[in-house]
Amino acid sequence: MSNPLSLRAALVFAALALLPLTPWMSKYYLLLAFDALLFGAVAMSLDLLIGYTGLVSFGHAAFFGLGAYSAAVLLEREVSSLWLSLGLAVVVVGLYALLVSYFATTRRGIYFALLTLIFAEVVYTVFRYTQTFGGSDGIQGLPPPSILPGVLVDTPVGNYYLVVSYLFFAYLVCRTVVSSHFGQVLAAIRENEDRARFLGYDVPRYKMGVCMISAVLTGLAGALYPGRAAYATPDLLHWSISGEFLIMVMIGGLGTLVGPIIGGAFLIVLQEKVSSYVQWYSIIVGLVLIVIVLFVPKGLLGFRGALRLRGLRRGST
Amino acid sequence: MVSVLLPQLLHGLVFGAALGLLALGLTVIFGLLGVMNFAHGELYMFGAYAGIAAIGLTGSFWVALIAAPLAVGVVGALTEVATLRPLYRREPLYGLILTFGLALVFREAVRQIWGGDMRRILPPVEGSTPLLGMTYPNYRLFLLAFASALLLGIWLFFTRTRAGIIVRAAVQDAEMLDGLGVNVPRVFTLTFAGSAALAAIAGLLLAPIFTVYPQMGVEMILLAFIVVILGGMGSMGGSVVAAFVIGITQSLLTLWMNPQRVAIAIFGIMIVVLIVRPRGFFGREGVLE
Repeated sequence: MSNPLSLRAALVFAALALLPLTPWMSKYYLLLAFDALLFGAVAMSLDLLIGYTGLVSFGHAAFFGLGAYSAAVLLEREVSSLWLSLGLAVVVVGLYALLVSYFATTRRGIYFALLTLIFAEVVYTVFRYTQTFGGSDGIQGLPPPSILPGVLVDTPVGNYYLVVSYLFFAYLVCRTVVSSHFGQVLAAIRENEDRARFLGYDVPRYKMGVCMISAVLTGLAGALYPGRAAYATPDLLHWSISGEFLIMVMIGGLGTLVGPIIGGAFLIVLQEKVSSYVQWYSIIVGLVLIVIVLFVPKGLLGFRGALRLRGLRRGST
Repeated sequence: MVSVLLPQLLHGLVFGAALGLLALGLTVIFGLLGVMNFAHGELYMFGAYAGIAAIGLTGSFWVALIAAPLAVGVVGALTEVATLRPLYRREPLYGLILTFGLALVFREAVRQIWGGDMRRILPPVEGSTPLLGMTYPNYRLFLLAFASALLLGIWLFFTRTRAGIIVRAAVQDAEMLDGLGVNVPRVFTLTFAGSAALAAIAGLLLAPIFTVYPQMGVEMILLAFIVVILGGMGSMGGSVVAAFVIGITQSLLTLWMNPQRVAIAIFGIMIVVLIVRPRGFFGREGVLE
């Protein structure tokens, strides 16, 4: 097994860590960088499913949103420890992901996508329409979390380092997964699920395993979000957010891990920058997507062999 | 009890008929191109807004009912040629992402042109009719009759006309059809235009009952997806049957539950269907699995 952290990756993370020392990283850019890296990390964990296992999840917003609500519920009750937030997010998202992946992995291809989508919609409907978690307003005006008793993460720089640390952690996890034997089996499942089964691998177990890893990583990212935004709203759980996650992966390039990080950061920065100039930024974002699908189908950092998503190919059995 | 059940049943039929028009186009496109068209909800919304524009120009709902689907059909055809045609030989996932992008563009374009406010279209038929011991709004009866007649017409088109049979053949096996000398890309484009026009009709027909706003398609598309799955993806008859089933189930459930619980109940049914019988009512076994 190769070292999960290559020299190049280590240099990039070092550069990210030094970035706030540069003079042009204002508060605004730090927060933008927070979002870019956070959603980049989510896209990377989604890539474990789509790019490496060939499972297209259309319900990752639920994992992210449940993570965010886990943290928000604790912060609202003045339990400010970030570690407790992360712990609760792991438990909540883990249990939900166990349920979803148990059922969803019984189906392949577009049915897997639809199952994850519908499960996520149930979560969205519950949070949006019951008042327990604030209904459509969500939970607002949250205090900042603390990493140690009395040490609050309440500055943009603090949040930035938090997200860089998280990205570093998530990247190591994902790299380790894809280069392990487990990851090789996932690739085998992507290439030919039946053959993997005939070789004796318990395919549903592997699929559930990777779903859990991806979901929990996404949930952890969600738990960091209220610390920066001071709110958690049901919009975070909406299926269009799941669609955006998918788009980030596609923009970046399936099955590359680094590509989706870039894709996520690209989409966040694009949305932010275009929306500061024009009101109709959705049109620009939509057009960029269309152009990428039509002309750069392998993503900004393309997959070097042919793209294989067996399950979604029409008519394949 | 009957006095409570009957209106709900009729509501369900009315909504089911409109939902059938919407889902029919979605399932045909799915069968043809293998693409779950995320922009279908926006075509539905376009129908309502094109209707508002046509009514603004001519003052007539009936003119709008012809003009709006034509206009949206043209938009559909142009979209298909410009964006979907290059994707024929690619993974369906690209189609999904592409239509997601189209949906963003369409929604925002409408918001820019007409603004984000809720709008209403007045029903062109007023009053209500005494029916089986209750009174029921005439417009809804008209909607039911019109949509049902249209569904019947589409069924005749697919079973009795050469063009309809070609479309069905393309759903079954586009390559074989190509080999037989049919201009398959043109079939795809025209079918996409037809599917867009049907969505537009559904949007305009429901506009006097619901409200018109840029997000209306987003609210509707998931339900249409559910109908398509329940009917069996790619099965036209299945999606019409499923549309009525969902329409009636939803409206009967509202007697006992609030709308959110109804939504969750429908999702629950869907989850069970997907796990137990993913091919739905009439889907072919093994396809897409």
